[in-house]
Amino acid sequence: MKNKENITSENHEQEHVSSYSELFGTWAALIILTGMTVFISISGANLRTLTIATALLIASVKALVVGFYFMHLKFETRLYRIMIIIVMALFTFFLIMVILDYLTR
Amino acid sequence: MTKTDLTMNHAFVLPNSGHKFDAKASKMGMWLFLYTELLLFGGLFIVYMAYRYLNQNAFLLASFELNVWMGTINTIVLLTSSLTIAMSITALQKGDTRLSIILAFSTILAALVFLVIKYFEWGAKFEHGLFPGMDHYNSLPYGERLYFYLYFFMTGLHALHVIVGGIFIGVVIRLIRKGRINKNRISLLENSGLYWHLVDVIWIYLFPLFYLIH
Repeated sequence: MKNKENITSENHEQEHVSSYSELFGTWAALIILTGMTVFISISGANLRTLTIATALLIASVKALVVGFYFMHLKFETRLYRIMIIIVMALFTFFLIMVILDYLTR
Repeated sequence: MTKTDLTMNHAFVLPNSGHKFDAKASKMGMWLFLYTELLLFGGLFIVYMAYRYLNQNAFLLASFELNVWMGTINTIVLLTSSLTIAMSITALQKGDTRLSIILAFSTILAALVFLVIKYFEWGAKFEHGLFPGMDHYNSLPYGERLYFYLYFFMTGLHALHVIVGGIFIGVVIRLIRKGRINKNRISLLENSGLYWHLVDVIWIYLFPLFYLIH
């Protein structure tokens, strides 16, 4: 019985508790980034390639902010981040294969 | 190491021995599922990129049919719902069950707002006959048809995820009320939060892809 309590309390200690202000700050950053990407899209409609690049860049920054702070990736064991990298590498591999396919037709 | 040392060692106690609850395994299972979700939408993303590259002008023309403001409002709604579910987890970790339930409820409310806005958006497209198979859709050039096909498929699949996420959080609220999810057993609430954030991350990419890239 004592063992059991020890384990649960150990698990609990490792758990990161985000403060409300930390979460609110994350949300504010995401809203500002959304405003930025909408503004760039509306104002710079002629810069076609630039808007694609900036829109995807800002989206990726937003995804990272959500992942690291809302989804607690920053406070988890390294394994979760390594696996994200593996998934992204797999995705990049698929993408490169498709690009090569279209370039060599 | 002597024999007694080994038996005293904590590493020899299985993580779930004596009880059916294993928070770490639960979280790892959820993440494994989320990785497959990323690849599912990643595949669709590649399809979109390939066809956009082949039909640049048609995609550009078709993208002006979408209402940027409705998309922006929906983005803000989803980001805010991500905040409320994250705060709901913090509230329960701090032991405030009531606040946690209220915040989880507001997440479901935001999901409903998102779906209502989506309903009006899709409704406008239906009125213009832009759904695959409708007359106006059939008369469009090849590239624009591809754009609307992908638009309906990808936002539709995302909306399905919003519905599933909402139901998941609804079940979690019931279990919090029953006391099955509490300060010490928070895994299911955390997992529903992770799922909800993933839905948010997918929308973060869909929004610029369909609404913003002009």
